Amino acid sequence: MKNKIITIIFILYIFIFSILGIIMKDKLISESERRKLKTFPEFSFTSEYVNSLDKYFLDHFPFRDNFRSIKANFNYKILNKLDNNGIYLKDNYIFKTNYPDNQKYINNFIDKTNIIKNKLNENNNVYIMIIPDKNYYLKDKYFLQLDYDNLYKQVGTLNIKNIDIKDIMNLNDYYETDTHWKQENLLKVVKRMSEVMNFNYENIDYKINEYDNFYGVYYGESAINRDSEKIHYLTNEELNNVSVYYLENNDLNKIYNIEKLNSLDAYEVYLDGASSYIEISNDNANSDKELVIFRDSFASSITPLLIHYYKKITIIDNRYINSDNFLKYIEFNNQDVLFMYSTLIVNNSVTLKG
Amino acid sequence: MIFSSITFIYYFLPILLIIYFIMPSKYKNLVLLFFSLLFYFLGEPKYIIILILSCIINYYLSKLIEKSKHKKIYLIIALIYNIGQLLIFKYTDFFISNINSIFKLNISYLYLVMPIGISFFTFQAISYMVDVYNKKHKSANNLITFMTYLCLFPQLIAGPIVRYSTVEKELKQRTHSYDKIGEGIKRFIIGLSKKVLLANVLGEFSKSIISETVLSSWLKPISFTLQIYFDFSGYSDMAIGLGLIFGFKFLENFNYPLIANSITDFWRRWHISLSSWFRDYVYIPLGGNRVSKIKWIRNIFIVWFLTGFWHGDSWNFIIWGLYFGILLVIEKLFLGKYLEKTKVLKYIYTSIIVIISFMIFNSTSVSEIFINLKNMFMLNNLKFINRETIYYLRNYLFIFIISIISATPLLKNIVNKLSKTKLSKALNVLEVIVLISLLTLSTAFLIDESFNPFLYFRF
Repeated sequence: MKNKIITIIFILYIFIFSILGIIMKDKLISESERRKLKTFPEFSFTSEYVNSLDKYFLDHFPFRDNFRSIKANFNYKILNKLDNNGIYLKDNYIFKTNYPDNQKYINNFIDKTNIIKNKLNENNNVYIMIIPDKNYYLKDKYFLQLDYDNLYKQVGTLNIKNIDIKDIMNLNDYYETDTHWKQENLLKVVKRMSEVMNFNYENIDYKINEYDNFYGVYYGESAINRDSEKIHYLTNEELNNVSVYYLENNDLNKIYNIEKLNSLDAYEVYLDGASSYIEISNDNANSDKELVIFRDSFASSITPLLIHYYKKITIIDNRYINSDNFLKYIEFNNQDVLFMYSTLIVNNSVTLKG
Repeated sequence: MIFSSITFIYYFLPILLIIYFIMPSKYKNLVLLFFSLLFYFLGEPKYIIILILSCIINYYLSKLIEKSKHKKIYLIIALIYNIGQLLIFKYTDFFISNINSIFKLNISYLYLVMPIGISFFTFQAISYMVDVYNKKHKSANNLITFMTYLCLFPQLIAGPIVRYSTVEKELKQRTHSYDKIGEGIKRFIIGLSKKVLLANVLGEFSKSIISETVLSSWLKPISFTLQIYFDFSGYSDMAIGLGLIFGFKFLENFNYPLIANSITDFWRRWHISLSSWFRDYVYIPLGGNRVSKIKWIRNIFIVWFLTGFWHGDSWNFIIWGLYFGILLVIEKLFLGKYLEKTKVLKYIYTSIIVIISFMIFNSTSVSEIFINLKNMFMLNNLKFINRETIYYLRNYLFIFIISIISATPLLKNIVNKLSKTKLSKALNVLEVIVLISLLTLSTAFLIDESFNPFLYFRF
């Protein structure tokens, strides 16, 4: 009798999921993981075909996110694991292990930065600001941290004037579910920058706009159910009137793309997310100075707060554009030049171009 | 294709089950053969020809062995064919590399991709030919029966090495019942869970630890020992389970080897189908232990050299085999008698020897073996422990505890005892719930992982 029940349940179980897998419509993307899902592979006489087929079935398994959630909960709650796929939960925050130091990528970061540095003009004032990722502020007896001292020491060998912000930031300046920092908390960073870069910091009024359904990139990776959090973007008259040129998105002439608030990644509201080359011109700036920022995504949210101080800001994301290409659009003379990246990019600089 | 994949469990298996069970008995072997070839084809399309050729050549040679006056010649041809095929596909580059380094030559490598499962189906074919020669059983009555035996997908690519005599009757006529199918499903789910929930997770542990400490240099081989046990015995469980679903009863391949109290005992419990194959087709034909002491020691070393070499085309596997050969000789000569008298020491001794053996097994070069040994025995001035080791030990502590308990018959014994009490009905319900939970968890773990091949596919 027992074996009959086992047989019937097993058969029903595998048949129901396989039939559901066939009849349910394929999704194009995984919202929780922010990636394209595999499409059904074309038949070929290679072992690659079965690999692709496996990946396709994995990607389109019915209730896939629920199964991922079962695994995550089992790991955290039953197996008492500290992390699931490198995702570490502490208080309300979701962290992702960024360990150990990757010397190859740190060297690559230094090499690529040197390549660009060598293309600058001798009259450029050059600065570097390496933003600590939020793991830096996680105080936990177990958590494995990057050797930040070593990373900053090595970046120091670039001999570029450093803007150190480690001491003024704290965990509250970062989103709970995302890698990034919160724009509304960054005025203290702008002030620190002004001290090193010699621009006149002013107390400027901003209107704080709120969107309360933000789920950061770690939320999907964690496969854990939790509440959304708020994301804010700061506006004022001056910011509304700047002229913005995006190399990839010519139609958008604004520093915020409000439509992105409802996209998979609401952080893309700032400067339209991934953009290789952007120019922002502000006729009402408090100086005639110009700034060029080489950057990663952390720069998207802080750059709007720098607009008041520079007549023109050029933002180059050298993960998407190399020097041969951006030199078609920009000529270096006496601008301020800022290399601004998070420690995440320094320790994993595979995508950086020189 | 591998058993622990969504493609196999949720697509290949359901389609096969429908077609297999609606077909009349006389076509069931044909269905199994077709799906076995499809199973192989989906994993290794090019080499399906090697498998089919192996079936046809061995089948007709077995007929010649049975009927011809020159049966010894045909047996020798069969052995040359099977061993030659294995040597060419598995060991050519190993030989070239050694010839190059000894004679300072520069012969280029062939980079042949090894057909999946060749080590297993070749050994099955050899056992079949030798048994036909020795008249232990008759040759298969037709090619389909023989091909079904050699290609039967549950054991085709990673064992157990099934003898023809074990399944001879079932190949001709077998029964199917809920009892067999239910037991098969149970076994399959247990094997799947061993592979996905334990072996794969233990594999993550070994990969995660980067810095060397004395503790981590022990934890890594301990973890690997558990990993390879659950990986391989999990595969055997799935194979035995699938065999039962389709009406075959394969012999057990593992019997809790990690609770062995000597190396002799360990090899009675570990990969039983392989060690009994070497016993029956190499050790005994060489004279076994019924020869002079010198020849007996020679026989042991030949068998253990070959056992190591079978596992892979690298010196560490040969050292691994010879390491066991030396220990078995020592145990048989004097240590065994001494160990028998101890209560705890024999278990500690066996555990340490086995852990070191899998460190050797898992090393990529001979020099790495010596570095690991130095690390383990504190000869490399390593820290005993560091933050990283603490993190991963804490992270995987429960998995280690569950794995160690699961490697003993403790749970099985408790279930057996309880099933004889009034709790047996509740136990039956619990068993069904546990099995479905394990299947759900394994599915969840599979979905969360990328493609994950079995460790034993390398061999």
